[in-house]
Formats: sequence, C-alpha cells, structure tokens
Amino acid sequence: MPPAGSRVRDGGDGRAAGAVFIRFDRVSVSVHGKPILTDLSFALESGEKAVLRGRSGSGKSTVLKTLLGLYPLSGGGILFEDRPFDPATVQIIRRHAAYIGQEPVLGAETVREALTLPFQFKAHRDRRPSERQLIDALRRLHLAPDILERECRRVSGGEKQRIAIARALLLGKNLYLLDEVTSALDAESKGAVLEVFADPGFTVLSVAHDPDWVARCDAVLELDGGRLARILRDGNR
Amino acid sequence: METVDIALPQMAVLYGIVLLPWLLLGLIGLGVSGAIATGILRMSLQLALVGVYLKTLFTLNNPWLNGLWILAMLVVADWTILKRAGLKRRYFFAATFAAVTASVLFSTAYLLLLVIRPPLYYDARYLVPLAGMILGNCLQGNVIGLERFYTALRKNENEYLTYLLLGATRREAVSPYFREAVKASINPTLAGMATLGLVSLPGMMTGQILGGGEPWLAVKYQIAIMLCIFTSTTLASILNLRLSLNIAFNEFDVLKEDIAEGG
Repeated sequence: MPPAGSRVRDGGDGRAAGAVFIRFDRVSVSVHGKPILTDLSFALESGEKAVLRGRSGSGKSTVLKTLLGLYPLSGGGILFEDRPFDPATVQIIRRHAAYIGQEPVLGAETVREALTLPFQFKAHRDRRPSERQLIDALRRLHLAPDILERECRRVSGGEKQRIAIARALLLGKNLYLLDEVTSALDAESKGAVLEVFADPGFTVLSVAHDPDWVARCDAVLELDGGRLARILRDGNR
Repeated sequence: METVDIALPQMAVLYGIVLLPWLLLGLIGLGVSGAIATGILRMSLQLALVGVYLKTLFTLNNPWLNGLWILAMLVVADWTILKRAGLKRRYFFAATFAAVTASVLFSTAYLLLLVIRPPLYYDARYLVPLAGMILGNCLQGNVIGLERFYTALRKNENEYLTYLLLGATRREAVSPYFREAVKASINPTLAGMATLGLVSLPGMMTGQILGGGEPWLAVKYQIAIMLCIFTSTTLASILNLRLSLNIAFNEFDVLKEDIAEGG
C-alpha cells in the first residue's frame, strides 16, 4: 500500500513538479454507515489527468463525489489549492469542477435550454453565451448545431454526455470529474472527447475502463475495497 | 330563532345510521369493523371533551385561558403536520411552529381587529372557532407542502445536485420543487374557493344558518374565513418551507439523510 500522502506525480521522474491542486490525505468516507473509502491518499497537480480503476464497489465514483462535498468525510482531510476542505472551499471546487456521469442530468426541455440553464443562476447571469459560442462548443464535441432545438428526451446517452461536456466548456470549467464518460460513445465521438480533455489547462480525475482513455492519462490509481492498492505512473501502465 | 336540540334518545338513533355501512363493509369483507368502531368512539369522545372545554372557555371568557387554548391548538397542529409529512419533529418543530403561528395569528388578528371587530377582541365565541378553522386548513396545506417538497427533492436528488454543480445556490437549486410544493399546498384551498356554494354548502355557513343566523350574514362570514384561510395557508407554506431549508441540508448543501421520521 502506498504511504500516506503519496502523490500521483511527486517530481521524482526528473520533471519539476507543478503546484499540488488536489490532495487527499488519509481520507475515509462512510455512506449509510458503511465504509466506502479508507485511508485514501494521493495528490493531483494542476493539468494532470488521472484515472481511477478498480472493481465495481471499490469506491471510484465516491472519490469524485467526495471531492464535490456530496459525502462527508469520516476521517482524514482534503486540500484544494492548499485550502482546507470546508464549505467555502467546496463552493470554490464546485465553481472549478464539472462532474459528468454516465447518464448526465440535462435539467431542461431542449438542448438549447440545457446549455443555457446555468446562465440563469446568479453566479453566471452576466456571462450568457452567444449563439456562436453555443455552436462552437457543440462542434468541438462533434455535435451538429441543429441539435440545439431537439428535446433532451430525444437525445442518446452519448449525446447527453457530450452536451454536458459542452455546457461545462461554456462555463469555463477547468477541473473535470468524469465517470465512465466514454462508455456510450462511438469511435469518432470518443476521439472528440479525448481531444477536448487533452487540453493542458484541464485537470482530470476520471473513472474509466476504456483502454484508449487510460492510455492518455498521466496516472492510474487502482482502488481495492475502498483503499488505494497502487499508483501506476508513466512507463509502468 | 332557536336551533332544535338533539335529545339523548335521538342521539342513540343517530348512531344507528352507521349500522348500514358497517354491515355492507362487513359483507364485502373489507375487515374494517374495528377501525370503524374505534373511529366513531374516538370522534365522539374527542368532541365531547371539546364540548366541555369550549363550554368552560365561553363561560370564563378569560384572555389568558383563550390564548392558552390557541397555543395548545398550535402545538398539536405542529405535531400533526410533521407526523403526517413524515419529518423528524426534533429538527423541524421550531420552524413549523414559528411559520404556522405567525401566519395563523396574522390572519386571525386581521379578521378580528380590522374586519369583525367584536366588543372584546379575545371573545372566545369569535377567537376560538375562527382561529381553529384557519389553523385546520393551514395544517392540511402545510402537510401537503412539506411532504411534496421533500419527496420531490429525494426523488430528483441528482437533478438538484446538478443544479448546485452548475453554480446554483441552494435556494436556486430547490426553486423548481419549492414552487411545485407551494402550488400543491394552496391548490385545495383554491379549488375549494372556486366551487364553494356550487357543489356544497360550507360547514361554517351551514352552522350559522342552522344556528338561526341570516343567510347574508353567513355568506359574509364564509367569505371572510375563506380569504383568511387562503392567506394563512399561503403564508405558512412559504414560510415553513423557507425556514426548513436552513435545517434539512448540511453545510455542503446536501440533503441530510436523517430528516425523515424513521430515517
């Protein structure tokens, strides 16, 4: 088992280590009284792409949701840009982060309404995207502009995932928490998604089994029964 | 005009009317004989007790005693609202009590002090039945509002969390469920106002007419009470839901797991 505080990238590979963006330090989480994560430690630098792997129920998705403040910590701590994990920091994380699950909630009738939904909230009201920006975001994900007027209940699972990513791009998010985001995509759409997240400005913590996705990640964290079993870095994936 | 009394032998005859549904329900094998007997017995005893209380209250007509009676009604209503809405009393009691009390007292005071203006503002003959009617309807509205809101929030938790992660504040993220819950809570009163007099004669009006009152006077009182019921139900539902938002979520805006009774 890796030592407490072990990092996905610790600068020991000859490259200068970037600023630590997210640090999990002996984090434990219980859901409905059942321990899901135990003593989990790792750190992620800004711009890094990491993937969590492990059997079903090993706690991969819980790691992503814990970072968003959706599960309380029962032990340990999380640092985000050196800030302690408190309600104010969680608000900052939520401003930075986009969570894209296997079946994202679009929360609107049409795709256009789904894309502009966040801009109704006070936090984004003054940054409403133009038609050009909407179309550009869709095109980056290989979605045709005519999807804008389609009803959300008529879009496929893969399209929903890409619409959710487009919405996150419009919001200027730079931390992506992705849960099996390529699972419902064909090869072409997957290529578009992989290209989007190759952006060095995006930090990505993901759950994935797709070999193409895993190959693109800087680090692979293997979970077993809610514990970090090992960290695989470049060269030994 | 005096109301015709129902003497004790006639009361016994009255209970005889339920023999028919009792037999019919028994014949179709519904198995509710025990529940019917308990229901009728409880209703009779409770009303008999209320009769004794009210008689005493009307005779003494003491402002403190009347106030105490209203307070007791508010506490029981608060208890009942949370029990029926399936929410833990230790969390929500104070918020529900504050919301219902403020709304009921406002409507009752408005009606008594500005509209009816009886010689004694605390006169039990006006205060107790009017506050009781307003509170009873307020209770129904609050049960519906709280139950709808928290059921919708649990059912649509992913949607709520998505709104939060898209930058919504807690209030912004709950607003779709909030609006639906308030609408559901006032709907019965709104529907009642729209059909009043067409489908049925309202209880208070019937009571006044049976008590020898002029139909026009009964109509005016009925309008007064309906408007006050509508006002207090709307105020209490909005206030109660708003106050509950400070209780039902943790510091990260996530709905607490243990707010439901038995949860």
